[in-house]
Amino acid sequence: MAKYIVRRLITMVIMVFVISLVIFIALQSTGVDPVGQMLGVDNYTKEAAEEMREKLGLNDPIIVQFFRWWGNIFKGEYGKSIALGYTVKDGLIAKWPATLEITLYALLISTVIGLLIGMLSAFWQNSIIDYLGRGIAVLGNSMPEYFFALILIQIFSIKLGLLPSAGRIPAGGGSRLPNLILPVCALAIPLCGNLMRYTRNTMLDVANQEYVKLARSKGIPEWKVYIKHIFRNSMRPVITILLFRLTILIGGSVAVETVFAWPGVGQVLTKAITASDYWVVMFYTLFMAIMMLSISFLIDLIGALLDPRVRLGK
Amino acid sequence: MEDKKIILDVKNLNTSFKSDGQVIKIIKDVSFQLEKGRSLAIVGESGCGKSVTVHSVTRLMAKNAIINSDHVIYRSYRNSEEPKEYRIDKMSNYGKEMRSLRGPEISMVFQDPMASLNPVYRVGDQIIEGLLEHNKSMSKKEAMEKAIDMLKKLGIPAPEQRVKDYPYQLSGGMKQRIVIAIAMINDPELIIADEPTTALDVTIQAQIMELMKKLQTDYNKSIILITHNMGLVTEMADDVIVMYMGRIVEKGSLRQIFSNPSHPYTKMLLSSVPVLGLEQGQKLTTIPGSTPNPADLKEGCEFAGRCPFCTDACLKGKIPGFEIEEGHMVRCLRCAGHKEVD
Ligand SMILES: Nc1ncnc2c1ncn2[C@@H]1O[C@H](COP(=O)(O)OP(=O)(O)OP(=O)(O)O)[C@@H](O)[C@H]1O
Ligand SMILES: [Mg+2]
Repeated sequence: MAKYIVRRLITMVIMVFVISLVIFIALQSTGVDPVGQMLGVDNYTKEAAEEMREKLGLNDPIIVQFFRWWGNIFKGEYGKSIALGYTVKDGLIAKWPATLEITLYALLISTVIGLLIGMLSAFWQNSIIDYLGRGIAVLGNSMPEYFFALILIQIFSIKLGLLPSAGRIPAGGGSRLPNLILPVCALAIPLCGNLMRYTRNTMLDVANQEYVKLARSKGIPEWKVYIKHIFRNSMRPVITILLFRLTILIGGSVAVETVFAWPGVGQVLTKAITASDYWVVMFYTLFMAIMMLSISFLIDLIGALLDPRVRLGK
Repeated sequence: MEDKKIILDVKNLNTSFKSDGQVIKIIKDVSFQLEKGRSLAIVGESGCGKSVTVHSVTRLMAKNAIINSDHVIYRSYRNSEEPKEYRIDKMSNYGKEMRSLRGPEISMVFQDPMASLNPVYRVGDQIIEGLLEHNKSMSKKEAMEKAIDMLKKLGIPAPEQRVKDYPYQLSGGMKQRIVIAIAMINDPELIIADEPTTALDVTIQAQIMELMKKLQTDYNKSIILITHNMGLVTEMADDVIVMYMGRIVEKGSLRQIFSNPSHPYTKMLLSSVPVLGLEQGQKLTTIPGSTPNPADLKEGCEFAGRCPFCTDACLKGKIPGFEIEEGHMVRCLRCAGHKEVD
């Protein structure tokens, strides 16, 4: 097990490096000229641009620039927004708490509700709960997060006037809940629908296993059959999908943050992309890559812990 | 007849499956009785409905099953001469009453030992689960001791270690013994074994069956055994039921069926298999023709299409069962003239 973890960590480091190189080269070859952006139309002369390039090291071979960038990362200098001037540290990393706030709430809520309804609709197959769950799942799968965001704003902010449609209350600035509700719902609903479908279907699959029949033949009550045998054996695939959804969730937050003017990294990223701000995009992408890899590592680890075959080292 | 202790009494069992809006009749008017302390073998080609029959009796059926019967009665002779009677046909599948029978009275060993154990729990915990369920006051430690005793009885070396193993750590034969231990831990009166050894090699098959036979005779238990292996039938069974396409075509004692097989299907079945048993992987395909699709409902004898003696009369109406000797029923018009019993 320990050997396996070490091996996985080493591959992960290599993969982060390779991914970052690919993104670096890809971004460099988009042909966007950051210097042009920095100087602006008024100050732009060929000489000034050349001088600036030399100063920023943009004339060095790509590979030199790449290692310089990594060197800076290790020194804690994550780069600077070319167009807007902020440092990645202040402009991007500082925004993480706001993004994490809505994504984690959305994850928590959709997990609890998704698992619960998923389990219940497996237990009472073809009941009202099951149909309700299926409805939500179809809805959640067929519409993107921002669409939910718009609908929620339409209903709860504009029509009913119950909840604010934009902004985030900073810490200590009064009740934060009203501003949180809509963005969290917009993120949670699609995830929730997905999770309940998946939980239900996995459980129904497991329910057909021979060992479930054997469990029933022992005379134990149905709720025990479902929780101890069916749900326990469905957990591995369900957790996998759950964690994978975390990355999708953060992706989804880009759109939702924009709609709700939520001051998180998603919003920063949208602006950075439009301004071809590639140090910012680069850092964000690197961060996402590391997160995806960590999550898939976590999935394997949890999967291993849930499976005695792997846990006991074979 | 009066003093016979009938532990299981099935009368006109019919089971259908609903699928794609269609209802397919799989089990047709199956009736049989099992006497306490005897073992009954159910034989027949793959797909004839052996598993569905016993699962209908124990109510461990897929959700799309529709089970009907005149009655299915289980009698427990455990505590006195006067039996306690249970109307299984009136119970709900997973209701309290049915559950109270599962384990302490009736238990099952399923077709596939490899898939019968839950991969995520230690086998010891799986053995005691049923024990604890039916003995609320028993401690886990006590239960585990009983489980270890049971494994000892089943000839498993180092049972104290084995109970801590996960299923993947055990061989097929070992897993099958664990499954049998699970079935026997509550000391049931009736054990239903659905091809308990097909996945195992011949020597282990023999060991396990010997073990079950010993149990049956030593403790006066009753067994229903489903198998393709005629050798096993001759060793294990007191009575035999031959099924074809969801219907009992012949039933009687072991001697009656083997020395005087009277239904054309039984004759073919017996002549097509070496009595010493099937090689592993060998299939019962030597009977000419193939099993018709159960969805094609037809009048008359199900076997007519493959029967060398088929007449026009065989294609009409319901074919009754005739008693050609006491306790020996044959569902074939060639036996007409004997007493109609079914
Ligand atoms: N849940 C179900 N839905 C629909 N049809 C089913 C279902 N379960 C079993 N059947 C059908 O019932 C018939 C009898 O199946 P059964 O499992 O009883 O056969 P069997 O005699 O036990 O065969 P084998 O020797 O291969 O175990 C088969 O045609 C099978 O396809
Ligand atoms: Mg079967």
